[in-house]
Amino acid sequence: MTDATITTAPELIRAAPELPDLLPPIKLRGGILGFARRHPAIAIGGALVLAMVLIAVFAPYLGTVDPTALAPTRRTREPSAAFWFGTDMLGRDIYSRVLYGARVSLTVGFSVALLASLAGLIIGLVSGFVRWSDGIIMRVMDGMMSIPPILLAIALMALTRGSVGNVIIAITIADIPRVSRLVRSVVLSLREQPYVDAAIAAGTRTPMIILRHILPNTVAPMTVQATYVCASAMIVEAILSFIGAGTPPTIPSWGNIMAEGRALWQVKPYIVFFPAVFLSVTVLAVNLLGDGLRDALDPRLAKRL
Amino acid sequence: MIRRILATIPVMVVVALFVFSLLYIAPGDPAAVIAGDQATPADVERIRQSLGLDRPFLIRFGEWLWHILHGDLGTSIFTNLPVAAMIAQRVEPTLSLMAVTLVIAICVAVPMGVVAAWQADTLIDRAIMAFAVLGFSVPVFVVGYLLAYVFALELDWLPVQGYTQISEGLWPWFENLILPALALGCVYIALIARITRASMLEVLQQDFIRTARAKGVGQTRILFVHALKNAAVPIVTVIGIGVALLIGGAVVTETVFAIPGIGRLTVDAILRRDYPVIQGVVLMFSFLYVLVNLLIDLLYTVLDPRIRY
Repeated sequence: MTDATITTAPELIRAAPELPDLLPPIKLRGGILGFARRHPAIAIGGALVLAMVLIAVFAPYLGTVDPTALAPTRRTREPSAAFWFGTDMLGRDIYSRVLYGARVSLTVGFSVALLASLAGLIIGLVSGFVRWSDGIIMRVMDGMMSIPPILLAIALMALTRGSVGNVIIAITIADIPRVSRLVRSVVLSLREQPYVDAAIAAGTRTPMIILRHILPNTVAPMTVQATYVCASAMIVEAILSFIGAGTPPTIPSWGNIMAEGRALWQVKPYIVFFPAVFLSVTVLAVNLLGDGLRDALDPRLAKRL
Repeated sequence: MIRRILATIPVMVVVALFVFSLLYIAPGDPAAVIAGDQATPADVERIRQSLGLDRPFLIRFGEWLWHILHGDLGTSIFTNLPVAAMIAQRVEPTLSLMAVTLVIAICVAVPMGVVAAWQADTLIDRAIMAFAVLGFSVPVFVVGYLLAYVFALELDWLPVQGYTQISEGLWPWFENLILPALALGCVYIALIARITRASMLEVLQQDFIRTARAKGVGQTRILFVHALKNAAVPIVTVIGIGVALLIGGAVVTETVFAIPGIGRLTVDAILRRDYPVIQGVVLMFSFLYVLVNLLIDLLYTVLDPRIRY
């Protein structure tokens, strides 16, 4: 080895583009309370999401009755001690329906976040690594992104039978391009990093580079993105159900309960009110969690937004 | 410039191809779904033929594209009217709603973002940003019902629902659109306010702001003339991207406020499983969205002369 190569090495490193430090560790200083003080958004959002998950899981044990049980003799009762949130046009207990509705919303939100992240990760990786496919994939993604997501989901739902599974697929397809673009941008910026060059020079095979160097760096931005996808998926599900293109009316979802209250909202506003509050609080909690995670995981981004 | 305009053509072709292939992507047999549960096999076969599902994909796509280029978006299964005519009939309320929302949202959101950036890390900033997070989280129909309940039912200031054509007078038209526009604009305001604040924060740190201050330019002039002009590109970008939110939200807002626009057309089409109408609406709105973003891209050259195409 000559002197020249030794002196150029540090220069190369200095000239290299700034490393996006995407995954600084969150230190658990000062226990849970200290963590909550430093990241209030994560603490509050996380607590609310957890509460909502518990409500969904333990819905049968929280003083609910069968959410689909009809009782024509006690239609549209105002909220009272017997019916905490009142009853709807068919005499069904709204409290029970709202609690069971949490199951649908959370299932849709979490499933879409997971599936869209997985699909987006694969497409983003292929696009970032298989050079010739990049142009084609990105043009298709551009086209998909030009279709407003709600309309894309509506069109897909119009072609399938209403079911929770189909709602999840429809919303996932609408969300894939955004996740793919994020993963692709991370891959493209990492590929230029000296340590990836070094790994390639050392003869590391592509699958290993992806596993060791690329994937760990996509975790942070994708987690943040996934929370936003989850929040928007819950809103889209409610919107689809509200306009009659979502889950079948027999399933108590927040959107369905509001759709049923639509005709009566001027005289019986509570039918719309309770599911609306639950939906808004849940989405707010997930968004808070996302903002908090973004600030904690990526301080540079936090400064910009 | 011309290259940028031509670049929208492949995007539009991809959009058309994607919208067209939804028929094939959708799980299950679309013809059977559209025909409904009481349909006979003959009905299903008729719909399959009218959708062209019995012929090869590429040939069918070519025909379909050719028709679209001639302004023919297909025929409604339910009413047998041309889809293009059905959309044209309903276009005024929807475009009115979107235009009013756009104007109100920009007039509210940009000053909000500017003030938040100016007062960064104070109570005012926190309050504005808290509103922005809330605006993202509360779904458009919830805001709609809330506004209608408070301002129309309780206070009786504005009409509850409905739409008046612009030809019947400017004020009746506008009066009916205030609440829907506010409901629809909520998410949009949150989005624009956030990006305005972020973009302004960056610009306010730069040297020319200090220079302006040093030579005695007033605070308002610094914020809204010197800084905002230089912070405009990201803001305008987000205004363009956010149009997708407006389009999706308009469908819901029109349902809440009983506005007879394209959103209502879509919702009715969903109930009747009238797929050609839905396809036409999706295609038209997507093209509108591509065109809006083309306009925004061209606007960059005006806002920032360094950008050229």
